[in-house]
Amino acid sequence: MSEGALPKEDAVLRVDDLQKSFGGLAATDHATFAVERGTITGLIGPNGAGKSTLFNLISGFYEPDGGTVEVNGTDVTGMEPYEVAEQGLIRTFQTPRKLEGMTVREAMLVGPRKQPGESFLTLFTSPGTVAESESANLAEAERILEDFEIDHLATQPATDISGGQMKLVELARAMLAEPEVLLLDEPVAGVNPTLAKKLKEQIRRLNEQGTTFLLIEHDMEFVMDLADPIVVLDQGHVLTEGTPEGVRNDQRVIDAYLGGGA
Amino acid sequence: MSLLDDPKAAFADLSRPERWVLGVSVAFVLFLLVAMLTGALGPTYFLFLVGLAGMYALLSFGLNAQWGFTGLINFSVAAFFGIGAYGTALMTASGSPIAGGFSPLVGLAVALVVALALALLIGIPTLRLRADYLAIASLGLAEVVRLIVLNERWLTNGSAGLRGIPGFFDGWPVLSTFPEAMPGLRLVVIPGSPVILETAFWQAALNVLLVLAFAGAAYFVLRRAHRSPWGRVLRTIRSDEDLARALGKNTYSFKMQSFVLGSLIMALAGVFYAHLNLYVGPGDLDPITTFYAWVAVILGGSGSNRGALFGGIVIVTIREGTRFLNDVALPIDPAPLRLLLIGVVIVAVMRYRPQGVLPPQRELIWPSAVDGGGTPETPDSGVRERKGGDDDE
Ligand SMILES: Nc1ncnc2c1ncn2[C@@H]1O[C@H](COP(=O)(O)OP(=O)(O)OP(=O)(O)O)[C@@H](O)[C@H]1O
Ligand SMILES: [Mg+2]
Repeated sequence: MSEGALPKEDAVLRVDDLQKSFGGLAATDHATFAVERGTITGLIGPNGAGKSTLFNLISGFYEPDGGTVEVNGTDVTGMEPYEVAEQGLIRTFQTPRKLEGMTVREAMLVGPRKQPGESFLTLFTSPGTVAESESANLAEAERILEDFEIDHLATQPATDISGGQMKLVELARAMLAEPEVLLLDEPVAGVNPTLAKKLKEQIRRLNEQGTTFLLIEHDMEFVMDLADPIVVLDQGHVLTEGTPEGVRNDQRVIDAYLGGGA
Repeated sequence: MSLLDDPKAAFADLSRPERWVLGVSVAFVLFLLVAMLTGALGPTYFLFLVGLAGMYALLSFGLNAQWGFTGLINFSVAAFFGIGAYGTALMTASGSPIAGGFSPLVGLAVALVVALALALLIGIPTLRLRADYLAIASLGLAEVVRLIVLNERWLTNGSAGLRGIPGFFDGWPVLSTFPEAMPGLRLVVIPGSPVILETAFWQAALNVLLVLAFAGAAYFVLRRAHRSPWGRVLRTIRSDEDLARALGKNTYSFKMQSFVLGSLIMALAGVFYAHLNLYVGPGDLDPITTFYAWVAVILGGSGSNRGALFGGIVIVTIREGTRFLNDVALPIDPAPLRLLLIGVVIVAVMRYRPQGVLPPQRELIWPSAVDGGGTPETPDSGVRERKGGDDDE
């Protein structure tokens, strides 16, 4: 099934023979691949190929019909999303998620995991600890917003910013959760070229700092420039995996896109 | 509220609707004071009204912790209120068919434990599912609890209700004899209409003390919780539960905590009611209480603790205020008029201020982190304040 799969020594994410069908439709059809630590791995495929479904299966939002998912060597198949996140895997969504009634920096502060202030009792037994971690998280949130050059938005309502800025905030917030592997579903869809370039730079920078990425993207220029290797999905199964050049020149990939898109 | 520390700065900090509410509240209090001094409103009755307002505030605090914070739709406010009232009544009332005669503190503890059990009972199967399941299940629960109270005579005395509930402070040192020990006072502010303060007044004052303690504690807890990372997870769940899950939050657990917290606060309202009224009956579990609590929260502004307080007071004002209309010749009965009035108020609020009168306004970050945590210039600038920024300040 995974003819194109490259050998992976240190996989942060391993998907093995994953299956999911909706009624008669096999949205994920025996998909097998792995994401090597330290890479930016691309996941491409025509519309409806099952990319988002795969993300939902990996991150625990869908229960697979068969197959396994491993994060950092731990079998997370069938776990709740929060348990998968605890293993260091964080995902974003294809459509940006808005947090009503929050400012941007407030929305950012949802990101950090295991905050002492998330325990109700700690709020009353140890408010000092809560204050300390909240200050630290706020400083960190503002530092990341600065890195992303959107610190001027910090106190804006989170619902009042542009779609592209929202994508940046999502990425920034996901980083506050300190993921080992971050799954991005179409990070630049609907984002203007300037912001897309910024996002690309940020992803590359964060990758250099140690975060592994798996990203779905239809913008071929974007994904070919950023990701290596690239996994190609078609009708729920992995068609091939390879370098950007290899994938670009692969006849099966071209056929899949022509077949699916026509 | 910080009003007490630094009134001027606090006032300057208020947004327009806040000032408006403050103004109306002050005018309203003055009006009540005048009514009291002129003898139109008995001081004991006035304190009773304050007690009721505190009770409704507790109910709306509880619902706000569920719906306002987390978006949980609970249609069994009346059931939790009733559980609180019956819980303490069954333990303390002389007419209780099962226990009776215990200290009200035991009653309070039992009421809270039963409310906790009921919250878990309904939360465990529904909170993992989509939001509407809780709504439907709670609707059923309210009716089941009401029917049990009405029909299980061996347990609850059925439709006869429970009599002989002691005051909450009965048996306490000092406080139990406080109303009798206080001298009767006769204040003459306006010649010809003296204000007489007797035992009943002091008894009512004790009740007000109790409800202030309950509501004050609830407010303190909710206020702190709302501004905390804990509250932030709840607000994230309300907006987009999947996002919270993707960021590693155990949303089931958070929803459960929010549901239990709200239910316990509603039960507190019931406990207070039982020791205020000294009698509880199955009629106290009528769904109208649920309706009032929802109106109060929506009116005040979902998610806002102050709003819930405000909404609770408005409800009591409408509920009790319409009684005075009995004196005026009216073409319709005050009871339907009351509901009509509430309907009109809700429609007006939804039309002109859909977020409620006092929606949660300021950014909710743990206070010391924003004030002292190295973030200059921008503390305390509110989300909505900025949106409509030009007409504030
Ligand atoms: N919850 C669901 N119920 C039923 N069918 C679904 C569900 N989710 C996805 N599908 C179907 O599964 C197939 C794969 O969908 P998926 O969203 O994973 O594709 P995708 O590769 O992400 O596409 P796109 O590039 O358009 O985002 C589609 O045919 C879709 O209609
Ligand atoms: Mg998709």
